[in-house]
Amino acid sequence: MPVDTFEKVYLPNIERGETEWLEEYRKQGGYEATRMALEMAPEKIVEVVKDSGLRGRGGAGFPAGMKWSFLPKGVYPRYLTVNADESEPGTCKDRPLMEQRPHTLIDGIICTCLAIESELAFIYIRGEYYNSADIMQKAVDEAYEAGLLGDDVLGSGRKVHVVVHSGAGAYICGEETALLTSLEGYRGYPKLKPPFPAVSGLYGKPTIINNVETIVSVPFILTKGAEWFKSFTHERSTGLRLYSVSGHVNKPGVYELPMTVTLREMIYDYCGGIRNGHDLKFVIPGGSSVPWLLPDQLDTVMSMEGVQAAGSFLGSAAVMVLDHTVCPVWAVTNLGAFYRHESCGQCTPCREGAAWMHKILLRLENGQGTMEDLDTLASIAGDGTPNTGMISGRSICALGDAAAWPVGSALKLFREEFEEHVKLGHCPYKNKRYWMADGKFVNETFEHHPAWGH
Amino acid sequence: MPSERLRTLPILGDRIGEIEQICAKYPERRSAILPVLWIAQKQEGWISEDAMKEVAEVVGVTAAEVYEVVSFYTMFHQHPVGRHHIALCKTLSCAVCGAHEVSAYIREKYGFDAGKSISRDGRFSIEEVECIGACTEAPAMLVGEKLHGDLTPKSIDDVLGKLD
Ligand SMILES: Cc1cc2nc3c(=O)[nH]c(=O)nc-3n(C[C@H](O)[C@H](O)[C@H](O)COP(=O)(O)O)c2cc1C
Ligand code: SF4
Repeated sequence: MPVDTFEKVYLPNIERGETEWLEEYRKQGGYEATRMALEMAPEKIVEVVKDSGLRGRGGAGFPAGMKWSFLPKGVYPRYLTVNADESEPGTCKDRPLMEQRPHTLIDGIICTCLAIESELAFIYIRGEYYNSADIMQKAVDEAYEAGLLGDDVLGSGRKVHVVVHSGAGAYICGEETALLTSLEGYRGYPKLKPPFPAVSGLYGKPTIINNVETIVSVPFILTKGAEWFKSFTHERSTGLRLYSVSGHVNKPGVYELPMTVTLREMIYDYCGGIRNGHDLKFVIPGGSSVPWLLPDQLDTVMSMEGVQAAGSFLGSAAVMVLDHTVCPVWAVTNLGAFYRHESCGQCTPCREGAAWMHKILLRLENGQGTMEDLDTLASIAGDGTPNTGMISGRSICALGDAAAWPVGSALKLFREEFEEHVKLGHCPYKNKRYWMADGKFVNETFEHHPAWGH
Repeated sequence: MPSERLRTLPILGDRIGEIEQICAKYPERRSAILPVLWIAQKQEGWISEDAMKEVAEVVGVTAAEVYEVVSFYTMFHQHPVGRHHIALCKTLSCAVCGAHEVSAYIREKYGFDAGKSISRDGRFSIEEVECIGACTEAPAMLVGEKLHGDLTPKSIDDVLGKLD
């Protein structure tokens, strides 16, 4: 484990897994940011956040301060919505943030509400996170009790109310416009942009949506300063970042690191290398929606620019590491099932394309595919870059792109293995034992499992 | 003030006070559909047509609109489930860390007939679901509202064995 020369601020005690309740947060100087923000003009708060270079942690990496300044002047009410839907496969950093640092999130919500002149904020938490919702509700209750939330925040005369809202199982509700339709009480269907939510969002009112980690960053930026935040910089990526590293590393987990870290350092220094001394096969660097990286790209800097230069996206900073026991065709079939299931069905290219790709993938993985199937698949999915194939760039929201990119990328990187499936008439990966429990493989007699159907 | 009639609803009646408080948090009442559906599901373990009608009445929309919402979200059960519902993650990070084996293990050991989602004794129901956000603790499952990660045969038995 490398010795870190920086101070962790988001989740310094993640292993302990304890919730920092109000009393403890206050002992650590909590709600200092709220106090500072109450003394600042709204534009000043926005300016500090702009100056820090903070970019959204939910996936798209849009500069937070700039988004806040898009609100139309003089139009009220305005709403803040915290995106805690966290459903991009591989991503699981907002959950520990909410469960361990609920008051830091509330502190950030108050500061942001003051900055954007909103009096009502929603935290939209995915339905599966029962515990996060319970903890956030208790923390919100504590904050009301202490006069931090309500009609008169710390006697300032300013109003900030917070509603904790649970989703009910739909990946698409993480997409910002879908999240708002869901919050309004409808099916979570995305809407065409523009208008952007900042102009016309929840109930048609100006609405700012930010990821949990983005909002949690705000109190640190206010108390420690924009310069501190910028002391961790790679190109236009500033600040520390929470990476969710899963798959076949020895020590999967959520790692708080500067975005100057390389993929090699992340996997081999922080995460203890690949399990069982296996070889690395490929890496999905930013949540399941992004193109894949190969072992010869280990020197990629894990910033937004670094990953983009390597041909992919940092996305939600969810790094999935796959070893040589994983068949890439099988893996992309697994993801194909995900996108097919999660497409909301509004746009024909996404709805039909995701299902079509998954059907072809299943056929290929099960050894019944043809060489023609490969060409058809490539024509639908494209080559793993934006606006190629039949889906990407042709749908209302980015789920369409997200469904196509991994397939296009897998085909491009592992074409030979796809062809091998066709030639052999079966998946060449046989008798691999995947379930490691208590440090050893379980069920020695394990046979290669066919990919799950729909 | 909730009308007296709402208090007499067979499924939601005894939770009307709480429901009214929830509705009051939102600028528009319709936003309370999901939280009220969650309450309905807690009351009965699943969401029946009768429950949807009650939710419609409480929130002030039509039953068809409630059905539209229920059928969109995967966590709402439109059919009865076992006494303990298992949502086992099947997406990539869990799949490459043993989710298939966990599924096979639970289904065999806890009395599920092939292709069935409720165990023979009605004690458990199981659903292989998409990513539950526990990727760094793969393989993982939710049993009721509780998350269990880093599953091993022993830890599965420890959790499931204790439930009646
Ligand atoms: C299909 C899809 C799913 C998304 N899921 C999430 C999510 O679970 N959490 C999240 O914060 N952002 C998600 N996003 C991104 C949001 O639309 C939005 O960009 C983000 O919440 C903005 O916050 P940020 O600027 O702080 O990142 C998703 C986007 C798409 C297209
Ligand atoms: S791209 Fe897919 S998920 Fe997005 S709106 Fe269209 S059909 Fe729905």
